Amino acid sequence: MVYVNGVWKTYGNSNQVGIKERIVGKKNSRKESRFARNWVLCDIGFNVHSGHSLGIVGHNGTGKSTLLSLILGTIKADRGEINRKGSVGAMLELGSGCHPELTGRENIFLNGAILGLRIHEIHRNFDSIVNFSELGVAIDLPLRTYSSGMSARLAFSVLAHARRDILLIDEILAVGDASFQEKCISYLQDYKKQGGTLVVVSHDMETLKDLCSEGIWLDEGKMVSSGPIDALIQKYMDSIHSEDKFSINLQNKENAVTA
Amino acid sequence: MVNSTYKQWVELLYLLVLKELKVRYKRSFFGYLWAIANPFVFALVYCIAFKFIMRVQMENYILFLLTGMFPWAWLSQSVIQGTESFTNNQSLVRRVVLPKFILPLSNVMQEMVHFIFAIPVIWLFFIVNGEHIYFGPMVLQLPMMIIIQVFIAFPLTLMGAIMNVYVRDVQYLIGIFFSVLFFATPMVYPLSMVPADYQFYFTLNPFYWLIDSWRLVFKGEIIPIYHLANLAFYTVILSTLSLYCYRRLTQRIAELV
Repeated sequence: MVYVNGVWKTYGNSNQVGIKERIVGKKNSRKESRFARNWVLCDIGFNVHSGHSLGIVGHNGTGKSTLLSLILGTIKADRGEINRKGSVGAMLELGSGCHPELTGRENIFLNGAILGLRIHEIHRNFDSIVNFSELGVAIDLPLRTYSSGMSARLAFSVLAHARRDILLIDEILAVGDASFQEKCISYLQDYKKQGGTLVVVSHDMETLKDLCSEGIWLDEGKMVSSGPIDALIQKYMDSIHSEDKFSINLQNKENAVTA
Repeated sequence: MVNSTYKQWVELLYLLVLKELKVRYKRSFFGYLWAIANPFVFALVYCIAFKFIMRVQMENYILFLLTGMFPWAWLSQSVIQGTESFTNNQSLVRRVVLPKFILPLSNVMQEMVHFIFAIPVIWLFFIVNGEHIYFGPMVLQLPMMIIIQVFIAFPLTLMGAIMNVYVRDVQYLIGIFFSVLFFATPMVYPLSMVPADYQFYFTLNPFYWLIDSWRLVFKGEIIPIYHLANLAFYTVILSTLSLYCYRRLTQRIAELV
């Protein structure tokens, strides 16, 4: 289970004052923009119980990946608390923990060890991992010869055998082909039934509807809305298509030009 | 539980070192020979320059060079490469949960493997030069020196890697620092060649004690207690410093790389 309460995060780089400003003594007048704002995440809170899953939607640069990194624990929140019960596995980036010169086989071991598997466990599950990935003899080719879809197959197959209590997945499945995506989705649905906790970031609304019952919508680091996934996605899509949003975007652009 | 995570990190370290070794030699014809080629060629070059051109009067000068050059290569290579171990492995630092020190440690271990592979080459040169190899004193002292060197190289590498995340100048500074140190440490010349008035200052250099101890080990002599005391002093200082750095500064590494 994942428990997030009142989490704030800043990278602390919005108030960089240049030498010129320091000498002239001019106040830092840089405006906050959508992609360079002070607080990357403001007051985020949600719970995901075991056997449940949460989908996160939102525009680029809105803090979704930062939120996953916080849950994973590679970075620390400035305020608020994050609690996790159980072991965490994550697929936040394609090719993290892989090396392009190593073969698929060698990468399975490296990747597995990074996820926290013991070498003997990887040996025991090796055939099953390769079967799941459907890579066949390509498993002995160096990873640099793989397409991004093939790399994603490899990475997901290792993750699927890591038996973590919590899985965090960021957008990676998008590069897989339709049949592999289906396979992953059915695996993840099974995983949930067996009591796993799942947090997914995706821009593919159909995937989210298939995987999640609940969701949150982030906009510029703030939680705009949360609740059942279908209604949430409806609201999110409406906002994208609505005139309102369009005019706000135009205004932002004008501001950027004048600034 | 604690025991099993500990084993897990040891295995991860093993796989990371194996990865580096494999990646480095995978597509090269001579493979690991390249690892020992560098200190070896350097030793030959210095031998020619100092022994034949500048006529340094010293018995077995080539052995003197080799026994200093290989431990030095381990030390300098691991610190120089390990300094970039966080900044060059962004995906491992940012997207994966692992104890961060394992990355610089894998650099030190990888160079250690190269060094261990080079030891037979050093022995070969002893034999070719008609010297004896005294395995007796080496049995205990060789592993001991390897451990001491890890405890000197790893803190330096760790501190370099951490500081390099904050200020990228460190990686360039370290390179220059080690080129200066190569000549500041009695490496291609014995300490006795330094004017007597200045010898004391050369002994303030921790690497002098390290390299000199390595030479004694290969010569089959017992390392004097004074050497060991010095080495112990520096390992404690460096370990403490690096532990302090690690505790204080690792929190934000994932955000800054």
